[in-house]
Amino acid sequence: MTARILIVEDEAHLAAGIRFNLEAEGYDVEVEPDGGRALSRLAASDPVAPFDLVILDVMLPGVDGFTVADGMRQGGNFTPVLMLTAKSLAEDVVHGLEAGADDYLAKPFDLAVLLARVKGLLRRRDWARGDSGNLATARVGDAEVDFRRFEVRARGQTFRLTLLEAMLLKLLVQNAGQVVGKGEILQKVWNLSPDTETRAVDNFVVRLRRYLEADPRSPKHLQTVRGAGYRLVLEG
Amino acid sequence: MPVAGSQLSAGKRPKWHYITVGVTLIAVAVALTVGWQIIGLSDAARAKEMTTLRWVVYFLGTVLFLLLIGGLVLVVYLLVREVRLNERQSNFVSAVTHELKTPVASLKLYLDTLQMRSLPESRREDFYRTMRDDLDRLNTTINNVLNAAMYTDRPVVDPRPVDLARLVRHAMDLTRTRHQLPRESFAYFGPESLRLRGDASALETAVLNLLDNAVKYSKEKVQVEVEVGADGDGQAHLRVRDHGIGMSRAHLRLIFNRFYRIGAEVRRSHTGTGLGLFIVKSVVKGHKGTVGAESAGPDRGSTFTVTLPGIIEAGAEGGAPEEVAG
Repeated sequence: MTARILIVEDEAHLAAGIRFNLEAEGYDVEVEPDGGRALSRLAASDPVAPFDLVILDVMLPGVDGFTVADGMRQGGNFTPVLMLTAKSLAEDVVHGLEAGADDYLAKPFDLAVLLARVKGLLRRRDWARGDSGNLATARVGDAEVDFRRFEVRARGQTFRLTLLEAMLLKLLVQNAGQVVGKGEILQKVWNLSPDTETRAVDNFVVRLRRYLEADPRSPKHLQTVRGAGYRLVLEG
Repeated sequence: MPVAGSQLSAGKRPKWHYITVGVTLIAVAVALTVGWQIIGLSDAARAKEMTTLRWVVYFLGTVLFLLLIGGLVLVVYLLVREVRLNERQSNFVSAVTHELKTPVASLKLYLDTLQMRSLPESRREDFYRTMRDDLDRLNTTINNVLNAAMYTDRPVVDPRPVDLARLVRHAMDLTRTRHQLPRESFAYFGPESLRLRGDASALETAVLNLLDNAVKYSKEKVQVEVEVGADGDGQAHLRVRDHGIGMSRAHLRLIFNRFYRIGAEVRRSHTGTGLGLFIVKSVVKGHKGTVGAESAGPDRGSTFTVTLPGIIEAGAEGGAPEEVAG
């Protein structure tokens, strides 16, 4: 199936250039130049024609990219987001990722890198979903994790996972019982260098605990191993 | 969630706190002054006779209190100005980053594309055109930044005779060529020649900026009237009128400020750094002239009027406007 990609970019030249290249790679592409309209299209949790990937510029007229990414997640849309921006400071990267972007590319970028990132994001999503035959479901204590639907069902509630949350959880499930280091998580889930200064992992762990744990403040399953990383205990 | 250094909003809050402190201090000083008056006057009412010394103390105190209030108001005013400039400055860094990086990113993207894929001739031509536009945009931004630095707070050192009428018509030709506009999009009203003392290249930069703006903020059809004339008191005027998107009254005062850009109302497709009109104002100020803007409101066009002193001689027909096809 052809992946559908939405490009949210107000600079006509860039939008046209990216579109041309993605179409040449066989993707189905749409362009939305306005931040506000992009948000209202993406924030709807049951969109008419969902996208497989969103390429999102940060500087947009009206509503900026951080807000769009955040609004998408709030609205329950967990489509992978590749953020494009003129700012390349490390803290901006982190800000983007914390706002809900799944990957990040600074302008100007290499075309080959862009195409690789797009392919990578779609692949990571498939991996997290378990499309390629690997782990599709898991059980953590009383919580049922459905990677195919990006959902956690626990205590009569259903929680939706973002791509990054799903990937982090999957990494922990695959290494259940073992300690997974923060550096490894940053590298494998966020595509960042292991020594990046960020609290993103800790924040995501806090969120996952809210889904998995009956009492998130004294976690039984998602344990912090001081100075080493995190360990997921399935039973109990 | 601790978000490190979001440049979109960083650094605004603390300075506004200082302003709150300043305003509170003013309120306290006013309250003290009023208290002083009450005490002083009730004293005066109680004592049958006010001694001269008491009057002197009373007046001196009042004057000092008023000075204190005045000083505080001044400080807060300066602080507000500084904070505003600061905000505009950080917007400017953002805008310039965007204005520089976007065309560079586009050029790189198209270059990569040309290198990676074999494309039909027509498509290649398209891409070359796009790339040329990006280079122009880059060049404009660089020139704007350089000009803004060059003409800020700098009076014309060595004014020489300049023919304003010719200079304006030349700028019109340049603008027309640059934007590939038909001949009739610009109309010139004014004398064949109008000489004054000034800096020709600075004036050309200013006029080009005004004309560029007129085109940039026009709607689909560009129609700009340019008028040059002598006011009779040794002053020349230049008026540029467009029929474009105009602006609301609130913006008229602010647009000449450095880094100022009209926000959300205008699509961001109007590229820019917020320097164009600031350059115009700087150049005109350097010539001891004035510049102003008028607009009947959004969608009703704008008119920019520049006056410049130092006319050497009036135009051939004594300044009577005569239409000359630019």
